[in-house]
Amino acid sequence: MRISSNREWHWHLLLLFAVLIQLWPLLFMFSTSFKTMDQIFTSTLNPIPTIFVLDNYFYVLKNLPLTQYILNTLLIASGITVAKIITSILAGFAFVYYEFPHKEKIFNTLLLTFFIPITVVMIPNYLLVSKLGLLNTPWGVMLPQLADGMGIFLMRQSMRNIPKPLLEAGRLENASAWVILTRIILPLIKPAVIAMGIVFFINAWNDYFWPLLILHDKPTYTLPLALQMFISAEGGSEWGIAMAVAMLTCLPPLVLYLACQRFIINTFMQSGVKG
Amino acid sequence: MNPFTWQSALFLAPSIILLFFFSYWPLLQDVWLSFYSWNMISPTMKFVGLQNYLQVLSSSEMIKVLFNTALYIIVLVVINFIVPYLLSFIMTHRINKFSFFYRSALFIPSTISLAVASILFLWIFNPLAGPLNILLSGIGLESPRWFKESGLVIVVIGLIIGWKVFGYNLILLTAAMVDVPKELIEAARLENASNWQLFRRIIIPMTSSTALYVFVITVVFGLQYVLVPVNMLTQGGPDQGSTNLVYIVYQYGFVFFQIGKASAFAILTMLLYAFFLTVKTKVLDKMVHYEN
Repeated sequence: MRISSNREWHWHLLLLFAVLIQLWPLLFMFSTSFKTMDQIFTSTLNPIPTIFVLDNYFYVLKNLPLTQYILNTLLIASGITVAKIITSILAGFAFVYYEFPHKEKIFNTLLLTFFIPITVVMIPNYLLVSKLGLLNTPWGVMLPQLADGMGIFLMRQSMRNIPKPLLEAGRLENASAWVILTRIILPLIKPAVIAMGIVFFINAWNDYFWPLLILHDKPTYTLPLALQMFISAEGGSEWGIAMAVAMLTCLPPLVLYLACQRFIINTFMQSGVKG
Repeated sequence: MNPFTWQSALFLAPSIILLFFFSYWPLLQDVWLSFYSWNMISPTMKFVGLQNYLQVLSSSEMIKVLFNTALYIIVLVVINFIVPYLLSFIMTHRINKFSFFYRSALFIPSTISLAVASILFLWIFNPLAGPLNILLSGIGLESPRWFKESGLVIVVIGLIIGWKVFGYNLILLTAAMVDVPKELIEAARLENASNWQLFRRIIIPMTSSTALYVFVITVVFGLQYVLVPVNMLTQGGPDQGSTNLVYIVYQYGFVFFQIGKASAFAILTMLLYAFFLTVKTKVLDKMVHYEN
């Protein structure tokens, strides 16, 4: 805004302060993970380690089945992501392409599942997973998370933005619904699908609560669950190691986010209500 | 638009079956379980009628749980709704440059697991050697035992959730702020409208539906996010000082193995949520009418 530009700097100051508050804990986690035990307690606030060591990481790699945890987390997060992408695309397509009774009601009913709290569904779902003998398996974690109300909403939104004549053209050539979906629609909404997939992946990767209920044996742990093991040391001597595991846990989502910021931010902006 | 056939139903079937089976069906099972006394392991379940509800509602714990839940809602709404609302206005209508930079920098913590956030803040708030304590003692203040004092513990957990959710809500609100025409704000400024008038007459009415949505998810998801730091750091303590209506379902179910009471609490949670979801549905009605 032209008029206020001479006073703009104090808004920038405020925003930079907010950025500092948001990023300081991360910087802190980063630097602590590279410090020796000594430095963690003597130069706690110094963001740059005076001696840069990888000891914490070596310790973690040597003493924890870290590769196993990474693979467990990767398998669960990928499985959930792929399943949710497929079910969301198919349902989103049905809502855009077909006319059927109670369409909006059905859509809203599906979208509402997004807001049902986990504790309300967790006991029956736990009992089911247990009955199926899937406790302590990645499948038990994935099973209740194969479809997503918000995913259906996002896919319907993207498909609605496709110009109608493009779909008409396919129909005039007598193409089947499946061909229209895979040949015409999917190539056009690819960016939205990728962004949605990244968001699904990040959320599944980060998930703590549902895996906590299903995975009890240490070898089946995901990374967020493994973090729990460092909490008992509240007296606080293992902070360097705990921060190293924390770093490894948040690295994949961070890298994915930094690589596709614009995509992701735009997807999130769409997931809010407009108008 | 094409007519619906049984073949086209196949597109819809996976989502409908999965979401019904893992979201709505458990809800009904909760109702059923809440009328029984059961410890999850025993082969027999005893029908007790409304006893679980009566016990739960008349317990002294219930008052504490409701009080904590209300306190959480207040803390979460301030940190994750009011502050981002003001910041999104500043980012959209008070500065010209670097808006995207701020948006993406502030969003970074939203990509991080709450499990990571919990352990990170446990260290930051460590009352002996943690960095916050060092900062405080630098200005001559003594650090309280953040996770051990009732009341304070809820604020600290609210801050952890805030760190994670802040950037996400900011982006949703910014999407709404961008839609407020700059000309309107310029015009208000030329007429010497105060900031308060600007907000009341232009900003709030033009962003209300998104703001309402963000308000609802702040509460609905915020109370669930609380599960992670509470379970990792306090287990509901000190003296149930950090539990809430969502966490107590977990406690009764998986710590005390009283499935009937846990289910009764779950149903009460759902009633609270139904209130917020009704508000949300009203917004949804607006949402579903589009240009095409």
